[in-house]
Amino acid sequence: MIQWIVFIFFSLLAILSAFGVVFLSNPIYVILSLLSVLVSIAGIFFVAGAELVAAIQLLIYAVAVAVFYVFVLTAVPWEKAFKKDSHYRVSGLFSFPLVLILYLEMLLVFLIGIGVSPKGELRELIKKLGNTEVVGSILFSKYFLAFELVSLVLLIGMIGAVLIGRKEGQVYEDDTP
Amino acid sequence: MKTIPLEAYLVVSMVLFGLGVFGMIVRRNMVTVLMSMELALNAVNLLFVGADAHLGLVDGQVFALFVIALAAAEAAVGLGIIIAIFRLRRVDSTDEIVDMRG
Repeated sequence: MIQWIVFIFFSLLAILSAFGVVFLSNPIYVILSLLSVLVSIAGIFFVAGAELVAAIQLLIYAVAVAVFYVFVLTAVPWEKAFKKDSHYRVSGLFSFPLVLILYLEMLLVFLIGIGVSPKGELRELIKKLGNTEVVGSILFSKYFLAFELVSLVLLIGMIGAVLIGRKEGQVYEDDTP
Repeated sequence: MKTIPLEAYLVVSMVLFGLGVFGMIVRRNMVTVLMSMELALNAVNLLFVGADAHLGLVDGQVFALFVIALAAAEAAVGLGIIIAIFRLRRVDSTDEIVDMRG
């Protein structure tokens, strides 16, 4: 029963924040909404009993990737996007409580998720070993080749990002009709 | 022991994926297009993990980990492309990149 309540709570939170991702206009608010979606989905992972994926979702996705998007937003000047309405200075006052709400949401996900997560009633092996050990053993035996290929893809992606994003000498004018 | 049925995960994942695709099509800002893509990827992850909880396996969680890693690589390359486009052309909207008549 408590699982249903937590599942529906996090699902509604995720869908509400997803509407924010699609419909908000300020890119910073969109990033905060995306962060809320990621944290809520981590809570649903806890409900489903996938503790390792939930922790990695919180650590890598919700922290690293979101910060990456913020970096790009600071690297690209968005004056053209911000020019049409100038009320963002006033609404900057609300950003701190918003971040506080996000932090509370993260704490909530950890506390509720650890309490609710089914400790492996699903299978004997999971009951005996725990989720992380089972995922690790199957990752390094059955999917070992895919694991190594993912590391190769990450290396190629890093090289490609550096190559694509490096500084060019000349700037081409926008000659589109 | 009552667990969440697969249909509940399906409904949530479907709604999130639909919103992600909708955002990919509707949005003009290129960075928010990428963020909508992250939304769709997370919907797929949610379905993987939900099906795992339903079937009692862990293979889907391994694939969710792969999807997270590949999404990080995709974000790096995509944001690099966006920065390169902005640096070369000084545009930030998908409507202004029409050289290939797409």
